[in-house]
Amino acid sequence: MTEVVKVHGLQKKFGKFQALKDVTFTVEPGEVVGFIGPNGAGKSTTIRTLLGIIKRDAGNVEIFGKDVWKDSLDIHKRISYVPGDVSLWGSLTGGEIIDLFLKLHGGGDKQKRDYLIKRFELDPKKKAKGYSKGNRQKVGLIAALSVDSDLYIFDEPTSGLDPLMEAIFQEEVEKIKESGKSILLSSHILSEVERLADKVVIIRQGEIVETGTLDDLRHLARSTVTLETEGDVAEMNKVNGVFDFKQTDNQATFSADNQYLNEILMEASKLGVKKFESVPPTLEDLFMRHYEG
Amino acid sequence: MKEKFSRWDILFVQYLKRDWKKIIVWVLGLGLFSAAYVPAFEEITKGQGLLGMYETLQNPAMISMVGPTPIETAADYTLGAMYAQEMVLFCGLFAMIIAVLHVISHTRKEEDLGLTELVRSFQIGRQANSLAVISETVIINVLLTLFIWGVMMSFGADTISAEGSFLFGASVGMAGVIGAGIALVMAQIMSTSSAATGSALGIIGLLYIVRAGTDVSNVGLSMINPLGWTYLTYPFTENNWSLLICALIFSIIVVTIAFALEGARDMGAGYLPEREGRERAKKSLLSVRGLFIKINKGVIIGWMIAFVVMGAAYGSIYGDMQTFLESNEMMKQMFTHSGVSIEESFTGTIMMVMTGLVSILPIAIINKLFSEESRLHLSQLYATKVTRGQLYWTSIGLAIIAGFVGILLAAGGLGGIAITAMGDSSTMNIFDFLAAGYNFLPSVLFLTGLATLALGWAPRLGRVVYVYLGYSFLLNYFGGILDLPDWFSKTAIQSWIPRMPMEDFDAPIFIAITVISIALVIIGYLGYSRRDMIEGA
Ligand SMILES: Nc1ncnc2c1ncn2[C@@H]1O[C@H](COP(=O)(O)OP(=O)(O)O)[C@@H](O)[C@H]1O
Ligand SMILES: [Mg+2]
Repeated sequence: MTEVVKVHGLQKKFGKFQALKDVTFTVEPGEVVGFIGPNGAGKSTTIRTLLGIIKRDAGNVEIFGKDVWKDSLDIHKRISYVPGDVSLWGSLTGGEIIDLFLKLHGGGDKQKRDYLIKRFELDPKKKAKGYSKGNRQKVGLIAALSVDSDLYIFDEPTSGLDPLMEAIFQEEVEKIKESGKSILLSSHILSEVERLADKVVIIRQGEIVETGTLDDLRHLARSTVTLETEGDVAEMNKVNGVFDFKQTDNQATFSADNQYLNEILMEASKLGVKKFESVPPTLEDLFMRHYEG
Repeated sequence: MKEKFSRWDILFVQYLKRDWKKIIVWVLGLGLFSAAYVPAFEEITKGQGLLGMYETLQNPAMISMVGPTPIETAADYTLGAMYAQEMVLFCGLFAMIIAVLHVISHTRKEEDLGLTELVRSFQIGRQANSLAVISETVIINVLLTLFIWGVMMSFGADTISAEGSFLFGASVGMAGVIGAGIALVMAQIMSTSSAATGSALGIIGLLYIVRAGTDVSNVGLSMINPLGWTYLTYPFTENNWSLLICALIFSIIVVTIAFALEGARDMGAGYLPEREGRERAKKSLLSVRGLFIKINKGVIIGWMIAFVVMGAAYGSIYGDMQTFLESNEMMKQMFTHSGVSIEESFTGTIMMVMTGLVSILPIAIINKLFSEESRLHLSQLYATKVTRGQLYWTSIGLAIIAGFVGILLAAGGLGGIAITAMGDSSTMNIFDFLAAGYNFLPSVLFLTGLATLALGWAPRLGRVVYVYLGYSFLLNYFGGILDLPDWFSKTAIQSWIPRMPMEDFDAPIFIAITVISIALVIIGYLGYSRRDMIEGA
């Protein structure tokens, strides 16, 4: 089977500003792809191109093997999309808007709608102008999740949702994933897609800088470790895989190469560990590593 | 009591600091618009000009637009009298509208955005904001008054006296204060800023139309109209200062009412409360057409009512026209000479004015599509079965129907009431009125076409279509008064169209403008179907 989404050499300019320089990635059938990048990297621009909302300047962009600009209508019948900033008509209620989206999309599941409204604890009788950002986001998500599509595209879907709702969203996406659908999930926070993504595509300043499984990428990165020991913590500076070592009294903070984690732990335990904290690599760390080479 | 307004002065100073650029543009722009035409008018008065102007402005159609003059014979008409008759009402209206927009942007709009809550958490009184805004607006209008006074005086023109100039400025400034008061009340009653703006402007529109009727039929009745307390001061002639006192008392009362209403309501709420909405959509909503009707409904209904009221108000004047002619020998002769009846001449002019206003609605509906686009309302719709063509053509369809119905209501309202008012002496039937109205249909279509062209190729220019409409309006308005070169008049689309029933229907022009309009719509579509959707811009 061919790729669900195929983006090759995509470029887009806004006036003189080159928002997308070279974007290339694929989404395979049944795959969940995390599309990660800092704010302004070009995630939404890429997604808008995929949906035919804006027109690309160069490159090849296909969904289901069809051109996203010319055959957008055929494609749209089989996809669901939630924009990053769900903005609604203030005079309509959440319930009305969900019904409208379902109808205009076609093939919505009324039961699933009701189920999701309960699940996300949305008050569908309230006029949208009274909704918080999180509630607006829920309206968009419920509408998209209630239809049966082959590809789901979510642009920063959890911004504005509280952690509880975020968890519910992830569960619902997991269900879709289990039923074999493809999903493209953008975020500027790596940890948001960690749980779901089979593959991560990282974009920065309009260019794809990394593609691979999360483990592949993790491998490249270093965790930040804070360590307090009974013995002289300065000993740790000599251990393989320890970088950027900083010490205050008996406490040290350093970056630890994940490849050498075992060695580091063994050395630390010799000194008698009083406190050990490890923070997984952030997106920024991944970038740092990328540019260090 | 004091607590409610505590620290209003801090907010007041803050507003002046934040708004100083806006204030300068406001005072300079409106001030110059009000005062700087003195030399131009001086030109007009040369030779027989003043006499001609006096006659022109005796026509009830003109009076219904610009207001009356207290001068009873052409010989007594002066530059000052003419300037006041033509300018006070219009400038006052502008002052009111700007004040309304300003007051609501600092009150209900900020409340909608949640800014007020933020401010209030800094130990600022519940009503300090309203007091600060109203004080700011009053100060601005005082500045405006002084500026107009100064500019007018600086020309040193004959009959533009110091007292008259000051009264002229004060009338315009007072109009602004009245507008601010009305806006402050509506900001309390309505639950959103757009509803507050709409209703405040609606009230002003209504006052304007009512005074058009009473000015022609019985000026005394215009004296009980708040708008009347501005232009009926008759600067440079009667200098009737006492009306400004009425206006001042009225403003104080209105502002007091607004404060009382505000004191008794909850933050963020209005007096017209939100009803609980539906859990499920009605079937009629579930299509692009249904959605567009729904989101344009308020605007459409509002304007439709305005069109009927406007038609009816102008229609009621017809009954008085003959009486008016009886009392005005000069006008009577003028109409006998030209071979057209005063009613026919009036119909031709007023139809042009009304269809110009009717055009606003289709333009608004077309521009709405872009504002929906840039406010990200359509983002999720793009990824459904909905095509760009559907969005575009549904908007066009709605706009054109609105134009059709708008003309029907305006012309029908005018004709219906006019025929009743004229009784047996009526020389026109309802079809004459409708024909005179639909005669201007191409101009409505043309303006709609311009809006679609902008939507397709340069959507940010959508508002410029209003500017062009305003320009055409002023051109037609002053065109009747000034002797403009033909090519210049023709830059206004309405000037191409003959004024029925006074003039004959011109089929080739009718068809040509219609075809051009259709072409504009199609060219607009070519752009719309090709361009990037602009989100959040
Ligand atoms: N319509 C537009 N006009 C001009 N610049 C734009 C437009 N849309 C996006 N940009 C710019 O393109 C860059 C990428 O934006 P975006 O795709 O929204 O980033 P992300 O979604 O990754 O945060 C940003 O610098 C943004 O300012
Ligand atoms: Mg984005």
